[in-house]
Amino acid sequence: MLSISNIKKSFGHHQVVNDVTFEVQKGEAFGLLGPNGAGKSTTISMICGLIPYDEGDIQVDGLSVQKKPMKIREKIGVVPQDIALYPTMSALDNLVFWGKMYGITGRRAKQRAFEVLEIVGLTDRAKDKIETFSGGMKRRINIGAALMHNPELLIMDEPTVGIDPQSRNHILETVKRLNEEGMTIIYTSHYMEEVEYLCKRIGIIDHGKLIAIGDKTELCNRLAGGHVLELIVDNPNVDLLVNLENIEGVENTNGKEDGTIEIMLSDKKNILPEIISLCGTHDISIQTIQIKEPNLESLFLQLTGRTLRD
Amino acid sequence: MKSIVVAIKDFSIRINDRRAFMMMILMPIVLTIILGSALKGVMGDSSSAPKTIIALYQQDQHPLSKQFVQGVLENTQLKNSIVVKNVYSQKELNQFIHEKKADVGVVLPKNWGTQLANGKTEPVTIKVSDGKDFEANFVQQLTESYVKTTNAVTASAKMVLSDLASQGKSGKELKSIGAGLTNNLGKEAEANASFVYDKPVGKNQVSSLQYYAAAMAAMFLLFNAMVGGKSILSERANLTLSRMMISPTDRVSIMTGKFLGTFLYTMVQFLIFLGATHYIIQVNWGSNPGQIIMIAIAYSISVSGLSMIVAAFMKTEKTADSLGGMLVQVLSLLGGSMIPISVFPETLQKISKITPNSWALNSFTNIMSGTSWNSLIIPLCILIGIGIIATIIGSLRFRMISN
Repeated sequence: MLSISNIKKSFGHHQVVNDVTFEVQKGEAFGLLGPNGAGKSTTISMICGLIPYDEGDIQVDGLSVQKKPMKIREKIGVVPQDIALYPTMSALDNLVFWGKMYGITGRRAKQRAFEVLEIVGLTDRAKDKIETFSGGMKRRINIGAALMHNPELLIMDEPTVGIDPQSRNHILETVKRLNEEGMTIIYTSHYMEEVEYLCKRIGIIDHGKLIAIGDKTELCNRLAGGHVLELIVDNPNVDLLVNLENIEGVENTNGKEDGTIEIMLSDKKNILPEIISLCGTHDISIQTIQIKEPNLESLFLQLTGRTLRD
Repeated sequence: MKSIVVAIKDFSIRINDRRAFMMMILMPIVLTIILGSALKGVMGDSSSAPKTIIALYQQDQHPLSKQFVQGVLENTQLKNSIVVKNVYSQKELNQFIHEKKADVGVVLPKNWGTQLANGKTEPVTIKVSDGKDFEANFVQQLTESYVKTTNAVTASAKMVLSDLASQGKSGKELKSIGAGLTNNLGKEAEANASFVYDKPVGKNQVSSLQYYAAAMAAMFLLFNAMVGGKSILSERANLTLSRMMISPTDRVSIMTGKFLGTFLYTMVQFLIFLGATHYIIQVNWGSNPGQIIMIAIAYSISVSGLSMIVAAFMKTEKTADSLGGMLVQVLSLLGGSMIPISVFPETLQKISKITPNSWALNSFTNIMSGTSWNSLIIPLCILIGIGIIATIIGSLRFRMISN
């Protein structure tokens, strides 16, 4: 469905996307993970043809984005990161308008708008103005606008930012259902658990480079050791983190302001007594200790030395 | 086709903004009534001049000086507006001005008439009482108009006489012909002086209410350049513009839609204003509705083009609001929407020609006075030309920014 080959994009001297290559198969749900400024949105903008790429090629259904942009746009639905709707227009009018922009005309546009309202669960608010909606409802209509032309490929750029858990669940359920019905999905998010829930294959992007790609199990197996020890301590300091990293078997550490220290373990040998002893030496008392299963967050931490929301 | 979808969407958003719509319709009507009533008598109403008391110190008794006083200042057509009080010294004139017994003091210097007869101009001193600049400007224009017309008459008479002399006419005959010619042409000079203020091109005088209806239409329609520009900036900020651009719709259709949205709204606003002023406050827009509609269409094209410039050269809605609002007001002032262009100095009158609202306003008032289609060709071309050029510049700049 989508094939991205060695694309590069620079803004001035700043290389935003650097030699990214990946493919998404028809009917697949693909997750693109990365912190802010990693190059996710630029990659999406290039897939949509909004921004031209400097090198490489992007093909959707065998058609090059730069050569046949209009044909490709008919196949793609994009849910932008921000709410791109007209606040003084009703939900129905917004959907009808976006439908018409994709060539749906007359009664069919209105009929499809009601179908989409049904999908996003807002039929009862059809005639209400967008400005009267909650953040979650706006997000749902924002998704609905991208579904009006029933796209083959749905690209969602962080569609759940800043919304209530109920709307978030609704959105995740909707996306899951659309994927199960055959729609190809590309989903970008900060939230690891959303990507884990929706996507079988995941790409991790950082500083414009695709640093890992594969299914969740494959990616987690890449973790050296794979386990993460999480400590919550009083008054952590930099010396403690440095000394922790000097312990044999500790791959990486990440200290947070709230007193949480994540310690990436490179092998499974029991080094807990050594860690507790070191904390005692630094006169730091441990409140809780937790051993976490390997997950994408720990993989990201291992690969980049920072968490997704850094 | 998609440009129509965009245009209808824009139009429906604006028309549903009831508060803004009422402001754009009610405000010009209220202002038309206020300004039209306040300045009644300034234009072609019961009289064509503001009420003015002139203290006249006439140092010169040449026939042309007498003709200026009797034929222009004391003209029967201006008797309701101008009262001339003769004074006999500069000191007395200054006193009249100082004590506000007169609005304007006029000193006709010695040899003024003689110089005028020889085609030369001796400056007339005009003194102004505090706050009476408007009246002084009016008197100055009367004087300048008389001087210009007399100079033209004198030059023409000389040319005719020299032509006759070359044909061998005797000195006596030439003197008689010259006197008759100067007399007849002099009458023309007097006649012209009576409508130096807001001279209409047609047969009918334009009342202050008519003038301000046209002026407010020109000004408030111009605000759509800002509103249209802001709409594009708002779409850019809210990312709906990006969303349109990732739909299978080319940029030309999107921008054409934005242009048409502004055009449609401007036209509807004008038609409502036209109907309201005609039926509610009985403004006579002239006898040719076709002409009015054609100018409104051309002006709407101009305004819609300017909205592209606003969108392309201003970065945010806030800038468009403050700078654009200021620009509209300056253009309105220059274009005669606040004060009639005819009271401006000559340089400003020339500058006003670059403003589309000035062309629209003049065309509206000319149609009200009963003009021909031919005389509207130039304003129509200029207004449409401004619209096209502005659209091209705006679109090119917009494409540059988008890339």
